[in-house]
Amino acid sequence: MESKFTEAYQKISEDGHESECDKVARMLDLMIDGEASTEEQSYFNTHIEECIACFESHQKQKLLKGLVSGHLKRVIVPESLALSIKARIQVTV
Amino acid sequence: MSEQTGKQLSKEEKDARFEAELLPVLDPLYNFAYRLTLDEDDANDLVQETYLKAYRFFDYFEQGTNAKAWLFRILKNSFINEFRKKSKQPAKVDYSEVEGYYNSDDVEGEGGVATTTDMRTESVQDLIGDEVASALNALPVDFRTVIILCDLEGFTYEEMAKILDIPIGTVRSRLHRARNSLKEKLEKYAKSMGYNG
Repeated sequence: MESKFTEAYQKISEDGHESECDKVARMLDLMIDGEASTEEQSYFNTHIEECIACFESHQKQKLLKGLVSGHLKRVIVPESLALSIKARIQVTV
Repeated sequence: MSEQTGKQLSKEEKDARFEAELLPVLDPLYNFAYRLTLDEDDANDLVQETYLKAYRFFDYFEQGTNAKAWLFRILKNSFINEFRKKSKQPAKVDYSEVEGYYNSDDVEGEGGVATTTDMRTESVQDLIGDEVASALNALPVDFRTVIILCDLEGFTYEEMAKILDIPIGTVRSRLHRARNSLKEKLEKYAKSMGYNG
């Protein structure tokens, strides 16, 4: 017998309707960006408890966001910039 | 709540509010400018231009509203109108074709990037930072922009839609495409480092 994971993953639509996995994949960004509604969150979380493929996709998407937010170095603002801005404002007004 | 809108402020009031509300956004604004232009001098000019415009239109800025989003919007418009023309970036790609509602088939594949989590030394962290930066810089500017706004600056989809003047649906699809592109570039790198997932 197929595992529950595989069963859920293979629930691809044959009648043109969106599968659960398709629906969940479309919610990935909403979930990692904190934009999903309570209903969407609960649908999503219930699904990934049973579907290993969607669970892994979610982990990867979170990791990708973390690479940007946690590893991208910020550039240092030149010390003179704030002063230049103030000076330019005073001469242009 | 917009009592201040359109009200003529005295120069002192204006200067004080400008300094208290808008100047604290200098750091994220400069970082955004740098990620758009990929050049420190251009970023400098763009930020100065943005603040001059903001000062000029400050009477129309509603106190207590989102100063950061307002400045980012001004900067992004200045970039499009003035900097993009002379920039060395590749010509703008028409994303209308790729912004149709997306499918999920490109989120699979064992990503080598997952293997980075067990690297903890500082030099490796730097290396990852450099690699993320170069992968991000290699993206078209529209893709780079949504990733910076969302993942680095933490804007909501609604704020991003206002900053970029596009519908929320377009924000979502552009972000999705941008992340797929970034993922592809980072996976290539991870594989080149011997991580095959």
